[in-house]
Amino acid sequence: MFEELKNARKLLGLNARNLAYIRPYNKKKSKRLADDKISSKRVLRKAGIPVPKLLARIKSVEELESFDWTSLPATFALKPNRGFGGGGILVVYGRKKISKKFLQTDLVETPDPVWIKSDGSKVTVQDLKNQIRNILDGAFSLSNMPDTAFFEERLTLLKLFKPYAYKGIPDIRVIVFNRIPVMAMLRLPTKESGGKANLQQGGIGVGIDLISGVTTSAVLGEGKLIDYVPGTRMLLSGIRIPYWKEILLLAVKAQEISGMGFLGADVAIDRERGPVFLEINARPGLGIQVANLAGLRERLERIKGLKIKTAARGVRVGRDLFGGEVEEEVEEISGRKVIGTIEKIKLIGRSEKSVEVEAKIDTGAGFTSIDTDLAEQLGFEDTVREYQKIEATYKDIKHLAKKERWDIFKHIPHLESMVVINSASGSTYRPTIKITVIMDGVTIPTKVTLINRAHLKYPIIIGKRNLKKFLIDVNK
Amino acid sequence: MNNVSPLINFFIEQGVPLETVVLLLMLPVVVTLIAFFRQIVGIKAFGIYTPAIVTFAFLAVPQLRYGVVVFVSVILVGMLMRFVLKSFRILYLPRVAITLSVIAFSILFLLGLGGYFQRTGLASVTIFPILIMITIVEKFVVVQIEKGNKAAVILAVETLVISLAGYYLASWPMLIKGIIAFPWLILITIPINIFLGKWDGLRLTEYVRFWEVLKNLK
Repeated sequence: MFEELKNARKLLGLNARNLAYIRPYNKKKSKRLADDKISSKRVLRKAGIPVPKLLARIKSVEELESFDWTSLPATFALKPNRGFGGGGILVVYGRKKISKKFLQTDLVETPDPVWIKSDGSKVTVQDLKNQIRNILDGAFSLSNMPDTAFFEERLTLLKLFKPYAYKGIPDIRVIVFNRIPVMAMLRLPTKESGGKANLQQGGIGVGIDLISGVTTSAVLGEGKLIDYVPGTRMLLSGIRIPYWKEILLLAVKAQEISGMGFLGADVAIDRERGPVFLEINARPGLGIQVANLAGLRERLERIKGLKIKTAARGVRVGRDLFGGEVEEEVEEISGRKVIGTIEKIKLIGRSEKSVEVEAKIDTGAGFTSIDTDLAEQLGFEDTVREYQKIEATYKDIKHLAKKERWDIFKHIPHLESMVVINSASGSTYRPTIKITVIMDGVTIPTKVTLINRAHLKYPIIIGKRNLKKFLIDVNK
Repeated sequence: MNNVSPLINFFIEQGVPLETVVLLLMLPVVVTLIAFFRQIVGIKAFGIYTPAIVTFAFLAVPQLRYGVVVFVSVILVGMLMRFVLKSFRILYLPRVAITLSVIAFSILFLLGLGGYFQRTGLASVTIFPILIMITIVEKFVVVQIEKGNKAAVILAVETLVISLAGYYLASWPMLIKGIIAFPWLILITIPINIFLGKWDGLRLTEYVRFWEVLKNLK
């Protein structure tokens, strides 16, 4: 209890966000630019940052009345220029085919197009007009100021994200402070959020490890921790975000251009275009801390006042300081995988029989040994049965010549060889069989010894012979 | 009236009713309470104006429960009207105008109903507190449009909670006596607000929101 209260200073609350970061670091002029989506996108585009294409904008009721609706493509997003929290956004996914009835009649005028929303409902020109009138009236803007509506290219969904996202496009929120990426999360739209990725609207936030770009923990909406996409078995951790470095670099560059010291940068990944910058946010939400199970305040305080010259340097500092595990880098340098002392592995035996078990990594052993029960599961029932029939122990036969010893065992089916194993409990003469071990993605065809391990915790130990491609981290 | 400050006496002699003096001096206390709820507790409500004005509306009705009945009715009808008007797809101001009108009819009906069931207290509620509470529905509708019904209802309940707290504070006899005896004490609210404005710790509601994170930090 007290531990948790002490940790409160590491978290960024609304009071501290407004008082210590937004006020001093985000000037009014820059904030106004961030809140004006059309202008901020123009500024970003001019600086060479990829942004979604602006299709059209409507500034007044007169423009609305004279707007050419047939100029709109089959799919687009309609947004309020000064909207916030994802409010007032309307996305269409396709145009309804014009029915034959219309084509057969001799009408000179083509009928108004009709679009389809993500839930399959129709969107008519009248619906768009109403939505735009509400936008112009300021129903979705900060403090209800009259606003501009704009149409924007809809990005296409990356295949990787398809099973995770409901309808809309997931995006990546990066908190940037002082040219350093501080924390990041993947935001996934859900059914409840109506295809929008905002947590306030009920989207999913998935924390991302800054160094590797791999997702960690996840939160649904404002505070519910989850492991899977609701209603599915899609695990949310372990997703590797593509273009990770570029995404962080885009976020930092956008911060430089925006003139704000502290912001949330939203980047999406388009199937064709790659990372596309969505928007800058002068008042980023704090739910990202729940998604990452980490505190923003402690991170921000660590980098306050650091002099960072370039965006690339800032990205490096952020990843080094706040990235969870450097393990991946060790793997990159050594070309070997880092494993712990207990690893989940997959074994493949005879006729493609496979078993997944937890194995103990034992650098004191030469050979890998497996339990006889496990060998049976892998299709070596005959081997185990025949071996257990032989009662001779090592003591009985150690005086025999190698050839004589082999004659005792050679009738055992699927036997590879016999080996002497010296262990703390004395020497044993064990049969070996050939199986395949898959550990941390590495496939190792190998000889393993058979022994009864029923009284031991792990049915298999992995010995030195099979550990050449690995480094062992005892803390893991 | 045994302990009346000369300052208060001065106002009374100038013809300002004592009730007005007390209410005006009570305003800083009520708004400080609202600021406290926002910055320390984390209860947002509809800004500062709405809970303050509802507090004074509650103070102005003869019995608190009638004030609460009117408040709850206004919010309920406001919610209902959203569903009714949704299918009409009309613009913001006309929509609020219709909502306000229907609420006015409903309150009138409610007052009549109160009289019919011999709840004369309800009918004797004066018009201004009623009007004040009807107009807060605009705040409610704005939040409904921007953040949805659930968020709007939560903010409405928060407003009710803060206004009730404000009501009990402002009608606390000890406090009223204290203000009449030592009106200068009201100035304490200014340093309190400066402190609240500089407070950068987590709000109580944020402890709840971030509890899982706090447990996971090392």
